[in-house]
Amino acid sequence: MEVRNIDNIHLIGLIFSLTILASVFLMVRQRMLREKYSLVWFLIGFFTLVMSIFKDLMDWFANLIGVYYAPSAFFAILITGAYFLLLNMSVSISGLKTYNKNLTQELGMTKLRLEEVEKKLQSREL
Amino acid sequence: MQKDIDECSYMEIEKTLIVIPAFNEQHNILKVIRDVQECIPKADILVINDCSVDSTSVKARMAKGVKVLDLPCNLGIGGAVQTGFKYANAMGYHYMVQIDGDGQHIPKEVEKLSNAMEQSGCDMVIGSRFLDIQSYRSTWGRRIGIKVFYLLFRMLINTKITDSTSGFRIYNKKSIEVLSKYYSSDYPEPDAIIVLKKHRLCICEVGVKMREREHGESSITMIKSPYYMAKVILSILLSCTRTRW
Repeated sequence: MEVRNIDNIHLIGLIFSLTILASVFLMVRQRMLREKYSLVWFLIGFFTLVMSIFKDLMDWFANLIGVYYAPSAFFAILITGAYFLLLNMSVSISGLKTYNKNLTQELGMTKLRLEEVEKKLQSREL
Repeated sequence: MQKDIDECSYMEIEKTLIVIPAFNEQHNILKVIRDVQECIPKADILVINDCSVDSTSVKARMAKGVKVLDLPCNLGIGGAVQTGFKYANAMGYHYMVQIDGDGQHIPKEVEKLSNAMEQSGCDMVIGSRFLDIQSYRSTWGRRIGIKVFYLLFRMLINTKITDSTSGFRIYNKKSIEVLSKYYSSDYPEPDAIIVLKKHRLCICEVGVKMREREHGESSITMIKSPYYMAKVILSILLSCTRTRW
């Protein structure tokens, strides 16, 4: 697998993947993105990077799994990855919803008890 | 005053919390509270205002001796009622009764629930519209749904439940404790039956009267009902397979 003459689409792929990697790196550094979630984005970045550098890799892989048209193997991998990513996001959102519900309930109960304590205090001061 | 006593015989159950979940019920809420106060004067009333955009909270506070819990975000009926379970559990109430804020449930009928609980020794008693009163008017879609639930419950947990979607229920300490931990968010009533059964608690039903709605709309519309059914059936089936709690 040698690096061949780079044509335009590979150059675009290269720039695209480097941009992803750089922005994920910066976002983690600025604490905009959690390390836990950055891992999968780094993987995606590396995947597209490797794919755009070694053109033959895709052909080899497509041949291996019996796909005639190499780019569709590339799409298949990306879509599978996206599915898992989405599933992962749904799990995260469900978790957040539960946290959010519990906090809302606790806050509501705390507000009620605070109101009651304030009322008691007021009546004592009067 | 004599008339009041005739209308609703005063209940003697101690340490009871009446939970009234309310979302945008400014027209109904005060009337519901007054009704409850008249029939069950000894019970504490907790109105759970599920982040209404109208003046439900203000209206509820107009009644004296009522606790009003304002949730800062809209949680839906499940989350709102679960707040009631958590509160009842934390404050050590012996019984909790749910009465919906739309005025559909009749406070006078609470006595039937509590009597049934005392006689049967069950941990939750459901007030059913269909058990011995045949007159309740309902859409055919809803009736099919209820029949499906009836068969499903008979198959899955071997219990005959005629009105599994009814929210008009009384709970004792045991079921309060369980449901304060596990109460599903969206359409919780059928699911709670499975949860309690899985915790080896006893459930029974008693026939009650219910009113038709006066103001507002039911949360389950014609378009939403197949979605509702699918979601509830899914959550029932999944709850049944759950072994770890």
